[in-house]
Amino acid sequence: MNDKREFSWSIIFIWIGLFSIGLTAIYSATQGPVAQFLPSYIQDNFFRQALWVAISAVALISIQFLSPRIFQEGAYFFYAISIVLMVITIFFGVEVSGSRSWLRIGPINFQTGEVTKLTTILAAASYLTSRRNISAENLKTAIITVLIFALPAVLLILQNEAGVAIVYVGILPIVLFWSGLPYGISLLMVSPALVGYFTVLNWKWGILAALIITIFIFFLQRRTWLTVTSLVFGLLVIIGTEVALHHVLQPHQRARIEAFTNPQLDPLGSGWNVLQAKTAIGSGGLQGKGFMEGTQTQLRFLPEQWTDFIFCVVGEEFGFIGSSIVLLLYIFLFLKLLNMASNQKHPFAQLVIVSVTFVYFVHFIINIGSATAVLPIIGIPLPFISYGGTAFLTNTVMLAICLNLDFNKRTFSIYR
Amino acid sequence: MSNRQKDKSQTAIRILQGIVILGFMVMMGRIVQLQIIDYETYSPLSMQNSLRMELVNPARGLIYDRNGTILVENRPIYTITITPAKFNPNKISTLASILQVDEEFVQQRIREAQQYSWHRTSRLFTEVSFEVFSAIQENLWQLPGIGHTIESKRSYPTDVNASHVFGYLREASPEELQASDYIRMGDHIGKSGIERIYENYLRGERGTEYIRVNAFGQALGLYNDGALNIAPVKGSDLITTLDAGVQALAEELMQNKQGGLVAIDPHTGGIIAMVSAPQYELSKLSGRIDINYWRELNTDPARPLFNRAISSRQPPGSTFKPFMGIIGLHMGLITPQTQVYNPGFYFRGRRYGDLADPGNYNLERAIAKSSNTYFFWMMDRIASRGQLNTWSSLIQDFGMGPINYVDLPFERSGIIPDSTYMNRTFGERRWGIGDLMSLGVGQGMVSVSPLQMAVATASLANGGYRVQPHIVSGVRESNGEIRYTNPVIEKIEWIQPAYLSEINQSMVNALMEGGSRYFGHIPEIQIAGKTGTAQNPHGENHGWFIAYAPADNPQIAIAVLMENSGFGSVSATPVASLLIEKYLTGEIKRDHIYNHVMNFRPRIASALSTENE
Repeated sequence: MNDKREFSWSIIFIWIGLFSIGLTAIYSATQGPVAQFLPSYIQDNFFRQALWVAISAVALISIQFLSPRIFQEGAYFFYAISIVLMVITIFFGVEVSGSRSWLRIGPINFQTGEVTKLTTILAAASYLTSRRNISAENLKTAIITVLIFALPAVLLILQNEAGVAIVYVGILPIVLFWSGLPYGISLLMVSPALVGYFTVLNWKWGILAALIITIFIFFLQRRTWLTVTSLVFGLLVIIGTEVALHHVLQPHQRARIEAFTNPQLDPLGSGWNVLQAKTAIGSGGLQGKGFMEGTQTQLRFLPEQWTDFIFCVVGEEFGFIGSSIVLLLYIFLFLKLLNMASNQKHPFAQLVIVSVTFVYFVHFIINIGSATAVLPIIGIPLPFISYGGTAFLTNTVMLAICLNLDFNKRTFSIYR
Repeated sequence: MSNRQKDKSQTAIRILQGIVILGFMVMMGRIVQLQIIDYETYSPLSMQNSLRMELVNPARGLIYDRNGTILVENRPIYTITITPAKFNPNKISTLASILQVDEEFVQQRIREAQQYSWHRTSRLFTEVSFEVFSAIQENLWQLPGIGHTIESKRSYPTDVNASHVFGYLREASPEELQASDYIRMGDHIGKSGIERIYENYLRGERGTEYIRVNAFGQALGLYNDGALNIAPVKGSDLITTLDAGVQALAEELMQNKQGGLVAIDPHTGGIIAMVSAPQYELSKLSGRIDINYWRELNTDPARPLFNRAISSRQPPGSTFKPFMGIIGLHMGLITPQTQVYNPGFYFRGRRYGDLADPGNYNLERAIAKSSNTYFFWMMDRIASRGQLNTWSSLIQDFGMGPINYVDLPFERSGIIPDSTYMNRTFGERRWGIGDLMSLGVGQGMVSVSPLQMAVATASLANGGYRVQPHIVSGVRESNGEIRYTNPVIEKIEWIQPAYLSEINQSMVNALMEGGSRYFGHIPEIQIAGKTGTAQNPHGENHGWFIAYAPADNPQIAIAVLMENSGFGSVSATPVASLLIEKYLTGEIKRDHIYNHVMNFRPRIASALSTENE
């Protein structure tokens, strides 16, 4: 029997801290003076979220009593079920504002794509830890892993949830990197995103980014073909991005991508959300305007302020103090989880914990990056804070699995 | 795990930690930049910020009669609003003096608003005078949290009240708010009548207006000169089949009485007039509701909110006989020549009374003189042959029994018994012919509404077609396009023209020779009609009259039910006859009949009426 003192209570406290901030912000964003602009089903979001927190707490506790083996042995089974559910959703799902990602089971609506994040992680971890390390020469394992990730991502795009699909693209390089994909190739995998991002900001920065990445790859791998590939790849991304921006995309599509760098170009159209989000956060100042006092939030200047733009509510009403507490809670959570992973002996458990950390991290970067206009606006929720029952439950279950694996790290033998 | 592997995984952990910390630093740097360094830029931005989206309610659709007369329109009312969180309690006395009401009353209203919400705006006083409204407008600067809006209420410009047809509006209930994404707190929606049925058409679409506001929410004017505003879409108008003149007369004639009447165009099913008496005054339920009046309506034993025209259930009495006649001809029980001798009663186990003169009766005479024996004899044959269900389904073909899908809420079905119904009421095989005899003369368990009788009468008038009764014939959208409703008209297959002409003749004779001739006969118009009396165990009998006219080319079919009025020929007949005269000639020439109806009071037995009904 394990000692209760070995349980990671600090993670539980971070979890409580995050969802408390979330509930506070959701309350303000839906029950405050702004409620006069909102339909009643949105005003009820706070109560629904509170219910989901309670359900998730029960799930978190229950999972601690499971044998850690279940997660590895059931991984493919869970994965298969969740994929089937996603396919069912495409055909029979409930359509909400253009995307068909909800499945109605009795009284509850269920976002199948959220659950698949968890099952994909388990399946990939189970697959990778049953294989030898990936090498630069033997990429078969890597390709199968890519397929494990690509399947749900494609289904999400079919559900018209491209934003969520990006999460899978974000975690994949981390998972492969952890499983032994050489550093250089790992870097090459993320390079198009980095180069593309800097090119949108300014094509000269794009070139700079491509050069720096190439130099890194040369020193990491010291293989000429890889270095050349990287450079050619980088330049192609720059040219591709520029051509796409100026010649392929319609002006309004281009405006949407560029809006985050220069929202003033079109302040009432594509720049509107970015401007209002920045104004909300910026005007919060050091101390914020106070609970339910944020003019941006309460006068309904923010879109989706209970989900995608919830960080703006925190920033406006609780200021720099509030938003840095949120950031600190997240960095403690990430470092604590990575620390857990490094203390693990079992490779499956290690990979699961690392993947979970980066699921949170990708959401964190994209959500806060969108709200603060560091990234183009991609609508995905902030873990444990945004409104969304399925997401909250899935995130909590992932955390609970990490806690379970950590708690049982001595008994969860690497030998079967 | 080998050491080398362990080292490798330690390096990987370091790299991942690096990525996470880098991400954190970037975000931290960004919020420092936005919230600390650029605070001076964004704070004034949000202070002036600037745009507030306000919802603009559209004008509710108007309601017209068949000739284009406006029957229901909108009138502006002035409303004072409050946002309790922003209101300064020291200003109560100022507010009270401007509003010209007690301070205590203002205080009480503010408390109610606070209970609803501190932050949301609610109505403080509705329907204030224009003077008070202007005074508030001038003093807004010293009354933070107080606002003013112009809303509208329903008004009824003609003599037509038609409370049960139009229905009233009230504030949406919490359940209705839950059920709809569109309805907002404080919205008034149709709760009865066509205001309820056609709510989605009448209400239109809300618009939005962008208003520049300062940080205290005070409006500074339209943003961008209103370039971004979305104008509200006016609600669609309803074009009804009502005839304003006939409807107003019908309401007048039904004053101080209880009952219901329905006049219908026999060829289309369009309702020309519909009254349920007593009515209620729609104008008193429009805008600010008079709570005392509302309470009165809900406790009045005469149940003025109940629509007797479509929801009451009464035995049709002798008005049932023409339909029995048609069914008898169809089922082969009788021919027009069939004679039945009336000794003053019909005997089947016991005596069933008949007040008609003793003698031989054929069908025509039996209807015109309203002899019971003929129809008891017929019902006896039907019951003995076990043809109750055939009889029931043929009666139902006329529109009696099941509902007729009129476009009004709360329509109720009548009762046309069949064996299933009898089994349920008396128990399996515990009923017999004796329980069925009275059905033949429209008494006993059979019961219908005035609407059902009007639909049935229409099918006598239009050559055997079943019409769907309706109030609204078209919906005119805000762009002027009219969409017509599509009521069902169906031939009742088994009705032969020969049956109808037989019945037509007997109903014309009923008006010439029968008890209705005193009040029913119009010199230049030939009416086909039939009176009836519904036995009422609780008091004076209810009077019925059904009619259509002109008999050779019917334009109107009508059914009148007068509760507790004794014989139909004195109570219901004159009402129907006056309405027919008004509809077909546009005026009333027979003042003595008009006066008779206006002076007629229910529960008063009349000496004139000794005829058999």
